[in-house]
Amino acid sequence: MIGVTLFACQGGKTSGTTNDVTLTLGAYTVPKEAYEKEIIPAFQKYWLDKTGRSVRFEESYIASGAQSRAIVAGFEADIAALSLKKDVERLRDEGLITHDWTDIRTRGFVTRSVVVIAFRPGNPKSIRDWTDLTREDVEVLYPSPKTSGGAMWDVNAVYGAGLKLSEAETGARDELQARELLKAVQKNVRVMDKSGRASVTTFENGVGDALLTYENEAMLRRLQGRNMDYIVPDATILIENPIAVIDANVEKHGNREVAEAFVEFALRPESQRAFARYGFRSVDDAVAVEFADKYPRPKHLFDIGYLGGWDEVHTTIFGPEGVWTQVVKELADE
Amino acid sequence: MVLRGLSFFYVGLLIILPILAISAEALKGGFPNLWTNITAPAALASLKLTFLTAFMMVILNVITGTATAWVLVRYEFPFKNLMNALIDLPFAIPTVVTGIMLVALYGPNSPVGGFMEKKGIDIIFARPGIIMALLYVSFPFVVRAVQPVLQEMDKDMEEAAKTLGARPFTIFRRIVLPTLLPAVLTGAALSFSRAIGEFGSIAIVSGNIPFKTQVASVYVYGELESYNPQGALGLSVVLLLCSLLILIFLNRLQVWSRKHAAA
Repeated sequence: MIGVTLFACQGGKTSGTTNDVTLTLGAYTVPKEAYEKEIIPAFQKYWLDKTGRSVRFEESYIASGAQSRAIVAGFEADIAALSLKKDVERLRDEGLITHDWTDIRTRGFVTRSVVVIAFRPGNPKSIRDWTDLTREDVEVLYPSPKTSGGAMWDVNAVYGAGLKLSEAETGARDELQARELLKAVQKNVRVMDKSGRASVTTFENGVGDALLTYENEAMLRRLQGRNMDYIVPDATILIENPIAVIDANVEKHGNREVAEAFVEFALRPESQRAFARYGFRSVDDAVAVEFADKYPRPKHLFDIGYLGGWDEVHTTIFGPEGVWTQVVKELADE
Repeated sequence: MVLRGLSFFYVGLLIILPILAISAEALKGGFPNLWTNITAPAALASLKLTFLTAFMMVILNVITGTATAWVLVRYEFPFKNLMNALIDLPFAIPTVVTGIMLVALYGPNSPVGGFMEKKGIDIIFARPGIIMALLYVSFPFVVRAVQPVLQEMDKDMEEAAKTLGARPFTIFRRIVLPTLLPAVLTGAALSFSRAIGEFGSIAIVSGNIPFKTQVASVYVYGELESYNPQGALGLSVVLLLCSLLILIFLNRLQVWSRKHAAA
C-alpha cells in the first residue's frame, strides 16, 4: 500500500517536470477577467503550438500594494502585473528584479486607463465635470489613499485637473486653485473604503452620487447593467499599469523563457485587443487607434510626470505635509 | 507549583511576548520618529474617537445588558430558551458581516436610515453607527457576566427588605446592585477592551474619514498599508497602554465594590 503510494507520487513528479511548465502570476484585482478569460488561454494555446509544452498557470489577484508586499514577503510569483509603477519598483529595490524592466518599447507598461467620474444612470445630478463634484448636493466616493493605489490615482486626477484647468485659463499653474478644488471635493466625501473595488461596491449599494474610479471598472459595470454610468472628464490623469518578470523567482523555477514569452505576448496586438474588450486602453499605438471611438482622448490628458513623478507625489501630495493630508486636516478644523 | 509556572508561561507567550515584540519594532526608527508618529493630529484624533465611542457604548451596554440579564433570569416567557441562545450570536458572526448587516439595516438606502437622514440624523457613516456596531459585537459580555450572579443570588435579603417596606427601586439600588456591581464591571471591562480593538465592522460602517469617523484600528491599518509600520505599531502600543490603565482602574473598582457588596 505504502509502496504503491510512493510509486504513484514519484510517477507524478517526473511527468510534471518533463512536459508541464508552471507560471505564477501576481496581479492586482482589476484585470482578473481579462487575464483569466482571454490572455492566459490564448498564451497557453500559443505556447503549445510553438513548443509542444503546456503551461499551467497559478494566479493571484489582490490589491496592488498588498500583492507587492506579498511578493517581497515570499510569494514566488514569476510575473508581477500591478497597478502602480511604485509597487514594481519595490520588487526591484528588494533585489527581486535585477534587469531593467522598463527597457521595452512600452516602457514597462501593459495596460492604460484614465480616472473617470461615475454616477447613477440618467445622471440625475447633472454631473459634467470636476466642479460639479464641489456642489453641496453632491456626495462623492473614493477609497482611502492610505490603503488603495486606485485612490492615489483619483486624488492625483483631481489635483492635476485643477492645475491643468488653471493653466489652460491663465497660462500658468495655480497651485492654490488646485488645492481648493481638491478640498471642496474631499469635503463631499462621506465614506472612504479600503480599496477601489470596495468603493465601487459601496457605490453600487446606493451610497453617494459620484464615484471616482478607473475607466475600465466603470465601463465593465455599465456593460453588466449595474447601477452606474460615467463620463471621461476633459482633464484627467493617464493611468499606466506595469508588468515585469521577477528575476529571482524565474531563476529559482527555471521558467525564465516562458515568463519572458508571456510578457512579450501580453504586449502583442491580439492581447492588447483583448484588454481593450475588457475596458483597458492600449499601450500599442496601432490598437489604440482601432479603439479610438470607444476610448476618446481627453482634451487635457496628463500623466504622473505632470505632477513630478511618483516619488515627488508621495511627498508633496500624500506625505505628512502633503496637500491631501493638509486638506483633510483643514476640513476637520472647520 | 508546576501548574502555576505553566500558567505564567502561557500568559507570557500569548500576551506579553507579542506586546514586547510590537514595542521593540515600534522603537526601531528611534524615539523622536516614534513620538512624531504618535502625536500626528490624525493619530490623536483617532485615539480620541476610539475611546469616546467605546466609553459611550459601555454605558449603553451596561444598562441594556443588565436589563436583559434581569429579564432572562427573573421572568418566564415563551421562547425564553431560544432568546437565551441568541444572546451569543454576535460572537459567531464575522465582524465584516455585522458591518454589512448594519449598513443594510440603517444605511442611507434603508427605510430607517433614509427616514433619519431626512430628519438630519446620520446613523451609518457617522458616530451613532460606530457605537451601534461596537454594541452589537460586545453585547454578550455584560449579559453573560451578570446572568450567573443573578441566578445565584439569594432572594432572602430582597424579600426581607420588601417586608420592611422598601420600594422596588430602593431594593434594587441598595441590595441587588451592589451584589451585581463586580459582575457588571467585569462585563464593562470586557466590552471596553473588545471595542478598542474592533476593526472589521467599523471599517464598513464608519466611513473612515480622518478626524471625523476614523477610529484608531483603521488608522493603524492605513499606516501599515502606507509603509509606516513604526507609526502603526507606535500607536498600537499607546492604545494597549491606555487600555491597560483603564482595565487596571476597572479592576480596582471591582475590588472596592466587592468589599462594599451586600454581605
